[in-house]
Amino acid sequence: MSEQTAKDLRFDCPAEIIKLTEGELNQKLAEMGCVPGTEIEKLYSAPTGDPIAFRIDSYVLGLRSSEAEQIVVKMNDELETSI
Amino acid sequence: MRRVALIGNPNCGKSTLFNRLTGLNQKTSNLPGTTVDSHEGKVKINNEWFELVDLPGIYSLFTNSEYEHVVVSNLTGKNIPKPDAIIYVLDSSNLRRNLLLLSQVAELKIPAVCVLTMEDTAARRDIKINAAELNKVLGIPVISLNPRISKDLKPIELLFYKFTEGTLISDNPDMHEKLTRFLNGEPNRGISTETLNRYSNIDLIVKRVVIRENKKREGNTLKIDKWVTHPISGFLIFFGIMLAIFQGVFSLAEYPMTLIEHSFSWLRSQTSGFTSNEYIIDFINSGLLSGLEGVIVFLPQIFILFFLIGILEDSGYMVRASFLSDQLMRKLGLNGRSIIPLIGGFACAIPAIMATRTIRNRSERLATMLVVPLMSCSARIPVYILLISLIVPAGVLWGPIPAQTLLMTLAYFAGIIMALILAVFFKMLGKSKEQSEFVLELPTYQAPRIQTVINGAWLRCKSFLNEAGKIIVIISMVLWALSSFGPDKAMKEAYNKAQIAAEKNPDNIEQIKQSYLLEASYAGHLGKMIEPVIEPLGYDWKTGIALISSFAAREVFVGTMSTLFQTGANNENVVGIRKKMQAEINPTTGKPAYGIGYAVSLMLFYAFALQCISTMAVLKKETQTWKWSIILFFLYGSIAYLSAFAAFQFIGNA
Repeated sequence: MSEQTAKDLRFDCPAEIIKLTEGELNQKLAEMGCVPGTEIEKLYSAPTGDPIAFRIDSYVLGLRSSEAEQIVVKMNDELETSI
Repeated sequence: MRRVALIGNPNCGKSTLFNRLTGLNQKTSNLPGTTVDSHEGKVKINNEWFELVDLPGIYSLFTNSEYEHVVVSNLTGKNIPKPDAIIYVLDSSNLRRNLLLLSQVAELKIPAVCVLTMEDTAARRDIKINAAELNKVLGIPVISLNPRISKDLKPIELLFYKFTEGTLISDNPDMHEKLTRFLNGEPNRGISTETLNRYSNIDLIVKRVVIRENKKREGNTLKIDKWVTHPISGFLIFFGIMLAIFQGVFSLAEYPMTLIEHSFSWLRSQTSGFTSNEYIIDFINSGLLSGLEGVIVFLPQIFILFFLIGILEDSGYMVRASFLSDQLMRKLGLNGRSIIPLIGGFACAIPAIMATRTIRNRSERLATMLVVPLMSCSARIPVYILLISLIVPAGVLWGPIPAQTLLMTLAYFAGIIMALILAVFFKMLGKSKEQSEFVLELPTYQAPRIQTVINGAWLRCKSFLNEAGKIIVIISMVLWALSSFGPDKAMKEAYNKAQIAAEKNPDNIEQIKQSYLLEASYAGHLGKMIEPVIEPLGYDWKTGIALISSFAAREVFVGTMSTLFQTGANNENVVGIRKKMQAEINPTTGKPAYGIGYAVSLMLFYAFALQCISTMAVLKKETQTWKWSIILFFLYGSIAYLSAFAAFQFIGNA
């Protein structure tokens, strides 16, 4: 199974950040709190679908979908099945 | 005097706190070699003065942009006095991310205290911070205070005597050396790993300090954002707000502007009481007072526009505007962040070009800077107003829309569309391998703090007075001299001609004399010299003089026309110039000299041409080369000339 990234998340389904893929943005994303173990949730997007707003722990961060692809996530199964 | 620095993330309420503490006792300065504003102010606590520095809001010390360089230079005391103490400003609703910066700065071992802001926002989201516990963990005094709403600043004032060197969150030795390497542009290895380690320590603190955290972001901000980013309501809100800004600037500014015009008319009527020398009276009335009026009359518009932009920024909407427009902007080679400089460009290109510093990608930043001058700045408004009033009278409706408003909007769109086309072109020129990035925090909406917004708008007015104001007054006086003096022989001839003409039309002696003398003056000669070049655009020598003088600042156009038509001394304003311009007949065609074709052609010229020395100077400063200023001058000049030519040839002078 291929890795799921923040871009693939469904709206309003919290997930957990697993790792960041290697890249120039790596450092920046980490500084913004996108570190493994952090809760992430897709909240809404611009009318064109890009950029996308995510809840990172307790604040909202806007990312382009290409940037969201660099955040590897694990869906929170428990929450998913309960919905 | 002890120097105290305010440090915190963007949107944490740091600048609000700074404004509350210093009031109007502040100034803006630039660290040498950078273009980021630092705000410095003084605050008096128990008869002791402290020097307070509001450092730019950043998320981490090691992100490579000018903002971080300014903060690091301040903290390490490079070219600038090192602060004796630090006030950390932390957003309670987002403590985790805010602590990262604190953990980095703490390693510099500067005595500090900590202020927790936005307690109300946090409370709404079910987040409570145990300040006493945080105090224990950090080893520095911690208080909770919301500078936006709190009336009593006493708790903060007490902190100024409690600065303490705290305990470290993570212990990374040689922080100072790392920062020095960072300033020198040398690579620091392992910062990513270091950041991860910091976060794992921070998470332990958060567990101890944050009580009953409900992470799911609830409340109004998310609800508002769903509307604001909705495909239909989002764009309606966006355009509604932009329209409201234009309307606000036009209608609200009218009253103070009329008041200023009346005050200057009154002043002019008083000058004859002091001296009977006609030249001195004329110099004061037409040269000095017209120049001053030409500067001061813009303050209401600048103030109102920056006030409205300030409200959008302070409330958090401005960031949403760039979120909405990022994809479109990216296609044009710009960045979502370009929207702020572009909207700022509607007020004045100078602060707008400076505001492009938040765009990290160099080619996107350059492209934004280069198209900003095409946004119709406030200096063009009076030119447009005068020209539009030549075409249609106020109050005429085209369909449901006032004709004047529609024409004004079209003038703005001419600039915007040209900017969009050229942005793509500039992006292709600036071949950059840098990765384009967005990564933008969408902060919680806040009720804007009017005092902060007013302070900001006032600082803009002051910088306009200082920078553009001087040029405008000087140019006005030079122009007065140019139009009052001329070659002796020509002036004598004009005088004689005026005498003969006056005999035929005795009611209008003074006006006829003035107009003949002006034509014979140095200004008249200069205008006539360029007349052949601008004739195909529908302009005469008077317009030629006004065009030349506009290169100092566009709004000088109206003042020059007023001087040229001698309305300045006659207790008249834009209406007066308009009437005289409408009455003017082209001697060769017998048609009105300033008709529709003239007005449209000149509006296009003003929409496109880079007629602003201040803009060219700022562009030079920001790009570190005159190259772009010169390229833009000729490029936009050619576009202006060609489109004005096409418009005049197509419409003619009906």
